Amino acid sequence: MSDLLKLAGVSVHFSGLKALTEVSFDAHAGEVLALIGPNGAGKTTLFNVISGYVQPTAGEIHFKGEPIQGLTPHEVSAKGVRRTFQNGGLFGDMTVLENVLTGLHVQIDSNFFGLLLGTRKADEAERAAAARARRLLALMDMDGFADQQVKSLSGGQQRMVEIVRTIATEPPLLLLDEPAVGLSPPMRARMMEVIKRLAGEEGISILLIEHAIDLVMAGSDRIVVLNSGQKIAEGKPNEIRENREVLEAYLGYA
Amino acid sequence: MNQETPKVKSSLMQNARIFYLVPLVAALIPFFANDYLQFMVNMIMVYVLVTVGFNLVIGNLGQLAFANTAFFGIGAYMTAILMNYAGFTFEIALVGAAISGGLAGLLASITALRGIRLYYLAIITLAFGELMRWVYIHAESVTRGTDGLPLPDVTVFGMSMHSETAKFYVFLVITVLVVKGTSNLLKSRVGRAILAIRDNELTTASLGISTANYIILTFVWSGSVVGVAGAMFAASTERVFPESFGLTEVIVHFAMVMVGGAGSLIGSIIGGVVLTALPEYFRQFPGMEELFFGVIIIAVLLFLPKGLVSLLAKVSPLFRERYYRE
Repeated sequence: MSDLLKLAGVSVHFSGLKALTEVSFDAHAGEVLALIGPNGAGKTTLFNVISGYVQPTAGEIHFKGEPIQGLTPHEVSAKGVRRTFQNGGLFGDMTVLENVLTGLHVQIDSNFFGLLLGTRKADEAERAAAARARRLLALMDMDGFADQQVKSLSGGQQRMVEIVRTIATEPPLLLLDEPAVGLSPPMRARMMEVIKRLAGEEGISILLIEHAIDLVMAGSDRIVVLNSGQKIAEGKPNEIRENREVLEAYLGYA
Repeated sequence: MNQETPKVKSSLMQNARIFYLVPLVAALIPFFANDYLQFMVNMIMVYVLVTVGFNLVIGNLGQLAFANTAFFGIGAYMTAILMNYAGFTFEIALVGAAISGGLAGLLASITALRGIRLYYLAIITLAFGELMRWVYIHAESVTRGTDGLPLPDVTVFGMSMHSETAKFYVFLVITVLVVKGTSNLLKSRVGRAILAIRDNELTTASLGISTANYIILTFVWSGSVVGVAGAMFAASTERVFPESFGLTEVIVHFAMVMVGGAGSLIGSIIGGVVLTALPEYFRQFPGMEELFFGVIIIAVLLFLPKGLVSLLAKVSPLFRERYYRE
């Protein structure tokens, strides 16, 4: 299995505060890798470093064998590492369907003059994209909201839409920051199911921050545990469940 | 196809094809309009395109760029110059007006791309318009300054366009084509990208959309549309004066966008029609034209911040903007 993402000795220090210290791990193609740890363990900082919003103080990050540290968020995104945000980044003046369609933008095969003249080819490309957007929404049981304004949705529904929109860009690596927080139990289960299917069928690799330990244990292939900015364990869910250091640090058992 | 679509009622009021009736009905106007009324209807089409073009930048892209009178004047002068000095007929001069308006749009987009936004962009683009007016006045050897530049006999494809009726049919064809083309663009990934940039430029870029290209595209298309309106304006008045493209003209264009509905193509058409026709009607009462203008702008912005089109959107979903096709 090839290493899609490779972190080697990544450290981030904010004026004396050691947010991350020499974190190293690999994410493989097609797997769901969960990142867990108590509050303040550095999970979100790690996401910010990978996606280019924070520059590492030391260490290297490789994506598909190319170094990506030092790139801007836009450049990282262009390489194929896409993320969702905790507070959403949806276009409020558009409907749910139109938001998802912006995620399909680069895949729509049409040029300016075709669109201007309304040629059959351009028209069909647009219609096919709309149909695909509806199918992607259906995957998350969100197809009933397709024609609603994004503003009228709840926070959890908005996050669903944002994930669908990000999935629509067909990212090789998807970073999900607490995708299940604030969702109802059936929606959470559905979310994990979808995440597993994305990794399995669509071949999208997923790096996931999640607090709900039950979801992580059930839904991920491997787990990396952070504590106080350091990696304390890495392994399959059953190995993590029995790791003594993890139990002490994270799950709170003595 | 045997598929049931129970949710969508296919009554006429929900079918967008109903809009095709508008130009068909309009085509009957010459049968009962006198020359004066016909001239006004022609002017209405000029201002519909002025507003359609302006609204793309102001409403859809959300940039406070006021170079619209520059695009308008450049289109009008380019038409007059090409017809006077190059001997072009109107249909060729029209293309020249579209291209020169588009180039002016390209120039205006550079300021926005360089991160000059909001009030700074507003003042720079206003200055661009005033600078162009200065050029029209002082490049006398070409523009004949404040005397105005007359157009030679306006012909299109070898036929005279001198009568108001002939102008009307030529304008109607142009207006329908430009509005339909703009609608096509807006109901596609182009329209969505433009709107996404207005909403959040960084998020748009994170989806792999080249925001710079779409900012340029919006300005160029806006400039071309308004340049075409300028060509129609020149053909309509048959003499082009610098005074037609001053600061008060910007205010009129802006009012048309806001009264019709910022970011709405149908709103542009409504704004262009209402604010061309009604002030003209009030001209028969001294002082009422200006009063009406002030009152309608204040009233609409206070009570209908999304313009007159928002009233219609409450009646039928047809008047709500859609940025996709199915």
